Amino acid sequence: MNFRQFAIKNVRGNWHQSIAYFLSSVFSVMIFFIYAAFIFHPDVINGHIYMGKGVRTGMMFCEYIVAIFSFFFILYSMSAFLKSRKKEFGLLSLFGMTRGQMRKMVLYESIATSLLAIGTGIALGALFLKLFLMALSAILDLAEPIRFFIPGKALLLTAAGFFALFLVITLFTLFQVGRSQIIDLLKASKKPKSPPLASVWLVLLSLLCLGAGYYMAYTMTLRNAIMYMLPVVGLVVVGTFFLFTQASVIVFRFLQRRKGIYYKQTNLMTIAQLVFKMKDNARILFTVSVMSAVILTASGTFYVFFLASKEQQMDMLPQSISFHEKGLDTHAVIDPDKVKSILQEDGVKLDYELKLAAVTAKVPVIKQNRDKTSTAMLVSEDDYNYYGQLLDRGRPILNVDPGHSVYVNRFNEETQPQTEIGKPLPIQIEGYPNAISLTVDKQYSGEAVASVSEMLVVDAAQYDEIMKTVPNDKKIVVYGFELKNWTSQADTAAKIEALVPEDMKSSFDNRISLYLSYKQSMGLTLFIGLFISVLFFIASGSMIYFKLFTELEEDREQFRSLNRIGMTLGEIRRSVTMQVAIIFFVPCVVGIVHTMFAMKALGNLLYTSALQYSLVVVAIYIVMQSLYFFAARRSYLNRIIKSFTR
Amino acid sequence: MSILKAQGLTKVYGSKGKMLYRALNDIHLDIQKGEFVGVMGPSGSGKTTLLNILATIDKPTSGKIEIGGVDPTLLNEKKLALFRRRELGFIFQDFNLLDTLSIKENIILPLVLDNTNIKEIEKRLHQSAELLGISAILDKRTYEVSGGQKQRAAIARAMIHHPAILLADELTGNLDSKAAKDVMDSLRDLNEQAGATIMMVTHDPFAASYCKRIVFIKDGAFFSEIRRGTNRQAFFQQILDSLSVLGGNFDELSTIRN
Repeated sequence: MNFRQFAIKNVRGNWHQSIAYFLSSVFSVMIFFIYAAFIFHPDVINGHIYMGKGVRTGMMFCEYIVAIFSFFFILYSMSAFLKSRKKEFGLLSLFGMTRGQMRKMVLYESIATSLLAIGTGIALGALFLKLFLMALSAILDLAEPIRFFIPGKALLLTAAGFFALFLVITLFTLFQVGRSQIIDLLKASKKPKSPPLASVWLVLLSLLCLGAGYYMAYTMTLRNAIMYMLPVVGLVVVGTFFLFTQASVIVFRFLQRRKGIYYKQTNLMTIAQLVFKMKDNARILFTVSVMSAVILTASGTFYVFFLASKEQQMDMLPQSISFHEKGLDTHAVIDPDKVKSILQEDGVKLDYELKLAAVTAKVPVIKQNRDKTSTAMLVSEDDYNYYGQLLDRGRPILNVDPGHSVYVNRFNEETQPQTEIGKPLPIQIEGYPNAISLTVDKQYSGEAVASVSEMLVVDAAQYDEIMKTVPNDKKIVVYGFELKNWTSQADTAAKIEALVPEDMKSSFDNRISLYLSYKQSMGLTLFIGLFISVLFFIASGSMIYFKLFTELEEDREQFRSLNRIGMTLGEIRRSVTMQVAIIFFVPCVVGIVHTMFAMKALGNLLYTSALQYSLVVVAIYIVMQSLYFFAARRSYLNRIIKSFTR
Repeated sequence: MSILKAQGLTKVYGSKGKMLYRALNDIHLDIQKGEFVGVMGPSGSGKTTLLNILATIDKPTSGKIEIGGVDPTLLNEKKLALFRRRELGFIFQDFNLLDTLSIKENIILPLVLDNTNIKEIEKRLHQSAELLGISAILDKRTYEVSGGQKQRAAIARAMIHHPAILLADELTGNLDSKAAKDVMDSLRDLNEQAGATIMMVTHDPFAASYCKRIVFIKDGAFFSEIRRGTNRQAFFQQILDSLSVLGGNFDELSTIRN
């Protein structure tokens, strides 16, 4: 056995401890390689692929994230790994291995590991590249899928880049090796563990920070968002830190004082071991919680945008196809009969059809517009109520008195009153001889009819009176067609839109194409971001996994003697499961709670129920974390029990 | 009344096609209630194998064991663990106390595992702590006390659930002579005052001199047996004589203490 073989044997001997770290590295390499393969794909570079340029920019951004993340993750893992091997190093130097030799050994080891990780990562990347390109082609709706091709540049960049990364980090960590005294190294794991201490004040501070952060997130609105954002993040991070380093100790101390709970079978063992584990692992658990919160919030936000887009579009443009024209029966935009005949041709069924005549009115507004007035469409309460109810999106039934009105705007975000409320305002109506006076009772967000920016809803009788006076060519007519199954009628809608003359396009709205293109770009973001989320997830889990296996030796000894004095395997399993579960799920739960509040804040900003949408993301996360937990528990238990059953 | 009865215990190591190694060969042992028995023998004589089999963590290839009227080889894993928890008490060379627990928590562990009520736990804890002279250190942690105190705590743990028999493995191996004497005095008190039945495997003639009867084994088989009279000093000399007859590798002989 020469020196190199010795180093490689070490890698194999330690694989149980480093497997999660290794797999995370492989996954980083794989993602990096797949993105690089797309970025350097000749068809993408030559612009043969629809939206290719934009996607390429997005992926380049992701490449930076992966690279920066990998740097810190590998740096952390390597130095933690070296620390866990102190005893081994002590023994080696006791046998007379020089510091230089030890560094050489570590270097060989990490070169072997990194070559293996890079090789496996690229191989897996090449394997999944086809699938990735197919999925991407499907999302981009490409007629011809992006062809499978492994660009040499991608290969080179990934291999050389990661090798350099591993090497630089190894050289960094080499400074740690061989600097301590032999005696300290040998005793490293034998150092007595002092019971952790905690301060009640810091626990209170932690609760205060979390409470304040949560409260601010809960009450966040568009106006204070910019002011609140950073303090919320800061407070929650500080609160989480003390939650793990201080509050956990206090909680366990409390349990230890409750003899009824503490002196109950395996609880004694489990709680006592957890106290020490929590102390040793507080930083890791804190980091993992924050990472979980980041992953969940980011994925949740993308997902909410993805889902909320449909509702938002339906609020903005209540009918699938709509247009408005000036003057009755001019049909300058398109003839509604023509629309109907095309719909019939394609066999598309109508949900309902809308034709609404109205007049335009100039309303004085508070905003700093130059003319201080805004153009709104004056409609009857009957029309608003009829079409509003057809939408089935919770529109109110308006009941307006003569001389009064309700100002309806289309943007949910607008909460400031735009006109003066409760005061008679002079309203100029086009084609109506003199200004009329209307009092705006309230402002409401939520259109019933597409194509218009704002509406002034008035009493039905007053509306009829105005409509009688205004000549037909000054009136405005809105046509709307709500299609059944509208999301899949893009072709028909495009056919209709093609008939609209160029200069009239601004009076025509096609919600279907708008929705689909928005959905496509959100879907794309979600898809590309997904891999980054998974990478973060795997890496954060691997930190826990690594910690768990660093403590394995010690735990194994303890459980071995416990088994000898008569703890059954069932009880050992229960105790281990409890401990591993707490280490895995406590950061998960904390991360989820943080996310819930972040989603509540997002919901406040977007006026949607972001919290409910994000539950899907949270559920997926819980399932994945559980799988990770079961895998870790299984291999941990196997390693513990194997050592004392013959 | 016989507490432990072993008949024809044989243990063979090695699997098919390999060399077979006979670690124990036809051992008979009968321990009565209230006895204090030592097992001695040179390194590799099968002492530890014997102890492991009696401790039910290893199974004999052939032969029969009965502890308190129960044959542990017939029990399944769970029942066996419960049997160890209730009927056996263990004392190890390296104490096997858990760092994460205080001395008190270490001692009461067997009772807690068995879900004994808290009053009973406290009562028994104080009884055993007093007997072993460790009442003052109950709230300390394992690394704050000396080796002798640790071993006495381990003894307290081994007997707090009133086991049928205490099994001790080289319990003075990691202690200096003063601590070894304290620990052996405690063990003797336990035997004489509390009537505990003890079986102890040891290398150390000094520790062995506390026993009432010593069984010598060599190459996995019974060799000889001596019984103590009234004088421990004379018994110690008798042990040394027997060991020299026994021969073998007794390097610990150089550290004779008194």
